[in-house]
Amino acid sequence: MKKEKVHERINWPVTILLIIGTITIFFPLYMAIIIAFKKPTEMTNDIAGALSFPSSWSLENFAEAMRVTDFWHSLGNSILITVITVVLAVLIHGIAAYAIGRSMANSKGYRFVYYYIVSGMFVPFAILMMPLVKQTAQMGIANRVGVIILYLVFFMPINLLLYTGYLKNIPMALEEAANVDGAATWYTYWHVIFPMMKPMHATVAVLTALSVWNDVMTPLVIMGGTEMNTLPLAQLNFQTQFGTNYNLAFASYLLALLPILIFYIICQKQIISGVAAGAVK
Amino acid sequence: MKTKNKNNRKRTFLLITIPVVVLFFLFNTFPLIHGFIYSFTNFRGYGSFEWVGLRNYIDLFTDARVGKSYLFTIKYAVVCTIITNVLSLILALGLNSKIKAKSALRGIYFIPNVLGSLVVAYIFSFFFTYILPAIGKSLHIGFLSESILAGTGTAWLGIVIVGAWQAIAQNTIIYISGLQTVPTDVYEAGSIDGARKWKQFWKLTFPLIIPFVTTNMVLCMKNFLMVFDQIMAMTKGGPSQSTESISYLIYQNGMSGGQFGFQSANAFVFFVVIVVISVLQMRFMNKREEQL
Amino acid sequence: MRKNMKAVLCLGCTFLAAAASMMTGCQKAENSSGKIVVEMIQYKPEAVAVFEALEKKFNETHDDIELRIDSPNDAMTILKTKLIREDYPDIIGIGGDSNYSNFLDADLFMDISDYEGLSDIKESYLEINKNLEYVPKEGVYAIPYMANAAGILYNKDIFEEYGWTIPTTWDELIALCEDIQDAGLLPLYFGYKDSWTCLAPWNAIAVDLAPADICSQVNRGEATFTEAYREVAEKTKALLQYAQKSPVAYGYNDACTAFARGESVMYTIGSYAVPQIKSVNPDMNIDSFVFPASNNAEENLLNSGNDLEFMVMKNCEHKEAVYEVLDFLYEDENIQMYLDDQGAVPCKKGDFELPAVLDGMKEYIVEGKSADYQDHYYPSEMSVDALIQTYLLDDSDGALDTFLEKFDTDWKRYNRDVIKKVQDYLDAQSSQK
Repeated sequence: MKKEKVHERINWPVTILLIIGTITIFFPLYMAIIIAFKKPTEMTNDIAGALSFPSSWSLENFAEAMRVTDFWHSLGNSILITVITVVLAVLIHGIAAYAIGRSMANSKGYRFVYYYIVSGMFVPFAILMMPLVKQTAQMGIANRVGVIILYLVFFMPINLLLYTGYLKNIPMALEEAANVDGAATWYTYWHVIFPMMKPMHATVAVLTALSVWNDVMTPLVIMGGTEMNTLPLAQLNFQTQFGTNYNLAFASYLLALLPILIFYIICQKQIISGVAAGAVK
Repeated sequence: MKTKNKNNRKRTFLLITIPVVVLFFLFNTFPLIHGFIYSFTNFRGYGSFEWVGLRNYIDLFTDARVGKSYLFTIKYAVVCTIITNVLSLILALGLNSKIKAKSALRGIYFIPNVLGSLVVAYIFSFFFTYILPAIGKSLHIGFLSESILAGTGTAWLGIVIVGAWQAIAQNTIIYISGLQTVPTDVYEAGSIDGARKWKQFWKLTFPLIIPFVTTNMVLCMKNFLMVFDQIMAMTKGGPSQSTESISYLIYQNGMSGGQFGFQSANAFVFFVVIVVISVLQMRFMNKREEQL
Repeated sequence: MRKNMKAVLCLGCTFLAAAASMMTGCQKAENSSGKIVVEMIQYKPEAVAVFEALEKKFNETHDDIELRIDSPNDAMTILKTKLIREDYPDIIGIGGDSNYSNFLDADLFMDISDYEGLSDIKESYLEINKNLEYVPKEGVYAIPYMANAAGILYNKDIFEEYGWTIPTTWDELIALCEDIQDAGLLPLYFGYKDSWTCLAPWNAIAVDLAPADICSQVNRGEATFTEAYREVAEKTKALLQYAQKSPVAYGYNDACTAFARGESVMYTIGSYAVPQIKSVNPDMNIDSFVFPASNNAEENLLNSGNDLEFMVMKNCEHKEAVYEVLDFLYEDENIQMYLDDQGAVPCKKGDFELPAVLDGMKEYIVEGKSADYQDHYYPSEMSVDALIQTYLLDDSDGALDTFLEKFDTDWKRYNRDVIKKVQDYLDAQSSQK
């Protein structure tokens, strides 16, 4: 990344334009924060009324929103589902990609399996939705387990694609060396290949986590009406209970956004590079 | 020793692959087939049902509401894809040039991508209903003084804005990684005065990042075609059913209206449409890549 | 090889363990202390508080049964998702509408004609359920709990301040709207962004102007909506000029808030909106009157139907426990509790204190001068509400004809299976004779 200093003058006009542009990002967030802190009586129909600072920064709305949406429960479910899905995705999709990717070169069967799974990317959830509602119920997994299994299947195509792409860059010679030592394939994978795929694990984890965390439709149809909420699902389910109280609703929106925002601020670098790496492959 | 290892390896691979394929079949292919079978019935989702042959498919092509939802979804996806890609490319160029606080700015512009689309749409819905008309009124801009979500001709724009707002983040990151693969000496070969900059971009940079454009276009299009959360949160398909996306219609009428069978047929056609569009897009893009 | 197997098994075990750890909470029918669990889903999210109170009261007074009442948002979708899953509750509480017809047609309900409480229910409300059957069916499948009444709610204080009187004919209503406008006030406020609210004035007008059994008439091929609904459609649209500028920009909540804050003098909605309005302005003085859509005051009827009724699911295994729950819900004291909270008309015979907002409709309620909501006969997937919304937004000359024509053609398509069923039944009847 070293570049010669000679050509590098700070491009101020672009910097300024970009800084102005961040208004489009901050304004909606600012609006959400302001409204979330206000009382219903502070809301008026003009812009000034909606966007001025609240008279006091009390956390009352948040406490009430937490109670109404059963926040900690929903948060717990969201975290549980996301973490388990990500861990299993890295474990299962990684090793599946290893098995399929390494066998593809000289086996028609594996090549077929590869394309079979990857083409699953184009199956819209809408067509699977209704049969899956029936199927998961019949199998007794119309709950968090079912949702996690479904995620593992839905993200299999893209993760398989990412992992096999990355595997191509890991020379076979390494494994062959390990094999000569008499190490079993299984051992080779966990001790040689798995650690080498670390950057791709990060990418898979980030992409899967973001999609799972924010997904509404799968939990909506699979767990709808079971009193099991994820964070976004709780927003949808309690929408009418906020009634006319936009302040309460906004407090709850902010609460729903906060965990991922905090996580993003902490792991910003990893997330961005993870997303970038996913696209390049 | 070696052959033993090789066989061992083969067997392990098989042992890993089989359960994975079974899992995939069970929760992807099987429901797909299942849905396809339902599409030949008048099943309501509960109770008894009858086989109706191709009636659902024939109905699909004569149903104005379904037709409208396809038009809306495709219009939305195309417009959103174009807007998103143009804006993210511009943003990527900006963020990739020599600017101050580069990583901070990148971090900020990526925020929309991590936020949940349902909640974002709720926030924008309030903005479009209350804040924007207030701004429009005080500035005396006629068409803005009413909520854009209330007009049959304008509601879809609101959904485009929210869709693009969120999607731009990820596409920008992808374009930035694309731009970073362009060797700097390509730039230095051309002169840097203003008028030639555009030409330089078009002739030198753009061809080199074409693969990234392909990725973005295909992924964007596919995601936008499946739009659901924003509709659910902002318009519920209204006004006048002008913003019913295909996914929303399938959910709404298949799950809560008694059209399980009919909407299964719709879903199957939708699947075919998505595959065709994606394949065509990739073909077209590949051709362009070869030409350049 | 053995090593491999072990490893694969390990992976499998991790997976299963993770799965098993989350399987808790799926037990049904009996809870840990051996009580029978009666599960109930009711579809009115606005009544969540009173049902929570009833649930608590029941569980405190019953040792052997545990009642669980669920009042989800968007309950109909959730209920249907549950039906698709074949995850049936014991009791469902929904309105007497086309969903009831469909569920009944799908043979989901238990015949409860042996339930003793039925004799306490007013005949007219049981009658309505009979009308909702596609083809006549033996037995009783639903027990009405609450009826609601729709018409026009008005701000009593403003009315008294200006000395306005209650209109009894369409012309008087229009004149009143003009007066209100002349006084610089807004007569009506609509929340048409939520398209279902379009049905509120529509229903109230239709009971006055269209035959009560128009839908069955059409199913039998004896009438068309084009004829029956022309005037209804015209009058629904005529109201728009007396409402706020862009009615589709605002939802039900917004409209309730606006009415509560005195931004409009009247509001065409049902009594079910009162709790919502009072949540914004608890001290508001609201009264109601019957929608006068006809110029012959005698023809004007109250729009009233079964807002909430209970059905027992066919595969329910503990009928006695369920009947005990019903007994509890129909105790006078508990009905009054619901009335005080929600402002409805009880379907049980007896002397209940009606909410003050229904004062203006009392005469009609007592005399039974009412007709059921027409939209209770519309299939939900036809989305008549959206059709009406489309029509109201359509400013072109042919809007009315387009709308009526679409109503008739759509009706035939969405009701195809029902019409066939009705025709088959009629054919069978006539061949028997």
